[in-house]
Amino acid sequence: MSNEYLGLILLGALLAGIFVGFPIAFTLIILSVVFGYIGFGDTVFYLMVFQTIGLMKEETLAAVPLFIFMGHVLEQAGLMERLFKSFQLILAPVRGSLYLGVLLTATLFATATGIIGASVTVMGLMAAPAMIKAGYDPKMSAGAITAGGTLGILIPPSVMLVVMGPVVGVSIIKLFAAAIIPGLILAGLYIGYCMVRSHLDPKLGPPLPRDQWATSVGQVVWEFAAGIVPMATIMFASLGSIIFGLATPTEAAAMGAAGAVLLTLFYGRLSFRAIREAALKTLETSSLVLFLAVASNVYGAVFTRLGTSTMMAETMLALPISPDAMLLLLMALIFVLGWPLEWPAIVFIFLPIFMPVVEGLKIDLVWFCTLVAVNLQTAFLSPPVAMAAYYLKAVAPKWELGQIYRGMAAFMVLQMFGLAIVFFFPQTALWLPTVLFGKT
Amino acid sequence: MLRRASHVLLDARDAVVISCGAQSAQAGARRGRGTPALREEGRLAEANVRAVSRALDRFAEWCGLLFCWMIVPLVCAMVYEVIARYAFHAATIWSYDVSYMLYGAHFMLGAAYTLLRGGHIRTDVFYMNWSARTKGVVDASLYLFFFFPGIALFFWMGLQEGLHSLDIWEVSDASPWRPMIWPLKMCIPVSAALLLVQGVSEFLKSAYAAVKGEAL
Repeated sequence: MSNEYLGLILLGALLAGIFVGFPIAFTLIILSVVFGYIGFGDTVFYLMVFQTIGLMKEETLAAVPLFIFMGHVLEQAGLMERLFKSFQLILAPVRGSLYLGVLLTATLFATATGIIGASVTVMGLMAAPAMIKAGYDPKMSAGAITAGGTLGILIPPSVMLVVMGPVVGVSIIKLFAAAIIPGLILAGLYIGYCMVRSHLDPKLGPPLPRDQWATSVGQVVWEFAAGIVPMATIMFASLGSIIFGLATPTEAAAMGAAGAVLLTLFYGRLSFRAIREAALKTLETSSLVLFLAVASNVYGAVFTRLGTSTMMAETMLALPISPDAMLLLLMALIFVLGWPLEWPAIVFIFLPIFMPVVEGLKIDLVWFCTLVAVNLQTAFLSPPVAMAAYYLKAVAPKWELGQIYRGMAAFMVLQMFGLAIVFFFPQTALWLPTVLFGKT
Repeated sequence: MLRRASHVLLDARDAVVISCGAQSAQAGARRGRGTPALREEGRLAEANVRAVSRALDRFAEWCGLLFCWMIVPLVCAMVYEVIARYAFHAATIWSYDVSYMLYGAHFMLGAAYTLLRGGHIRTDVFYMNWSARTKGVVDASLYLFFFFPGIALFFWMGLQEGLHSLDIWEVSDASPWRPMIWPLKMCIPVSAALLLVQGVSEFLKSAYAAVKGEAL
């Protein structure tokens, strides 16, 4: 049996191992070693260490723990609640104000967190009680929270884009620039949907009672200046310094983290406990992402060396279908994979398998990555295996899981619409990188 | 079949634990075939398994509390670099190396803590619907056949590479600063060893669940 087919068996064994439910990283390591040894002998042992060291020396990935730390510091210090309270007070008289508050908070916060779970949980904790009290529609509320929370994964700085860069071989800065407009389009779609529906049917999202309104214009201005502006400044400074090339993503992430600590101090919420909790959560989150990256790196090297990826790419490229159809097929595959698998597994394991095909079709890589990112974001909202739903159910037990699902489904349709926009108008992703860095 | 296997393993491990423990003489004296004595012995074994698992968990927790602080010098180094570059027009020679070394050590050394916290990504489409016992059987056997061999190999190869690097006092070629690289390489065997240690605790937990049908 030739090595290419051995690689196919490896892929099959991996899929079986994944669905049994053992931590994917460990399954990857043992399977790669066993199949690699059968395929090309004890070179595989050296390959394993070599690939690990290689990943540990990948300086751009140092941005991963830093961005995660930034998000956790802001979260630990309760700054998301602060932001939400400000929006709530300012928007109180508007129909659907809490939807708007949730989505604006989420969009702004998406520029601080790069991981989905964190923000859905926190958003649920702070917004769900307010929404229940104000008599908001449970379905739409759950949809707004989950959809808003998942924006964190798309709107840069996003950890997913940071790790996608080295995997695909595209500059992270370009990916960031490309994801901004699609992210804002999605946020815009959500906001538009909630606003129009609450306007047509105020029962879905009534304005808040009079006693929760701001008492004076001064209070509104103060809330805006003290509650929203400082957060926004730090987040945009961090993102802006990357986009305009003032700092590498790693440096900007560190500046963002330092800014987050300063902001916490500014709001009088800085404590040893908060920082330690944030540091501990950061260790866990970055280790789960990056250790999987190490394992996938070993796996990828074995898979490539067995020649299977070349074979698969050639087979797929030989299919008598147009490049657009092939791209659609890949997107469908990623969407289906996004159901049971979490994004790191898809980005580290499956994306490298698809890359030769994408390169063979001469598809713009930046555009492709943006499509993948939007696509994966959609997968977070696709019931019945949607992480966002579980996160929300855990913190808002009053809502039925069924209600949460139905609410998410509506937003998923919006996301599909957003994905279609990016697909049919590549300019939405490519315009900003082209303006900033010339031809991609 | 698997359940039986893990039961045997659990017993074997208990025997080791008991013989090491302070109560070994007592346990030996009670090793009769009578039902109450057997039950008593079972309870004792259970307590020992729990104690070992808890102790290992505490160790991993402690490692997590220690290693999580590496993020702070990482932030400080990068911030200093940016300030030095823009305010003093003097970029540092060391920041590049420091950044990847701290990052590389941080997530590798944190892997065992993440294992304790159940953080390593698993696909729970089917897993979540299984009983505690089925989960235990699956986990215990996969720890045995997947986790320990793979990570032990990882440890061994990492150690070889790390020792070699130490032996020749290898330095980094990533920047003109050329710091020594062996501490970073040594993080691989250390992380693997920590993973193995925490793996024992996870194995005990899943073997217990496989036998008893409930969490330890």
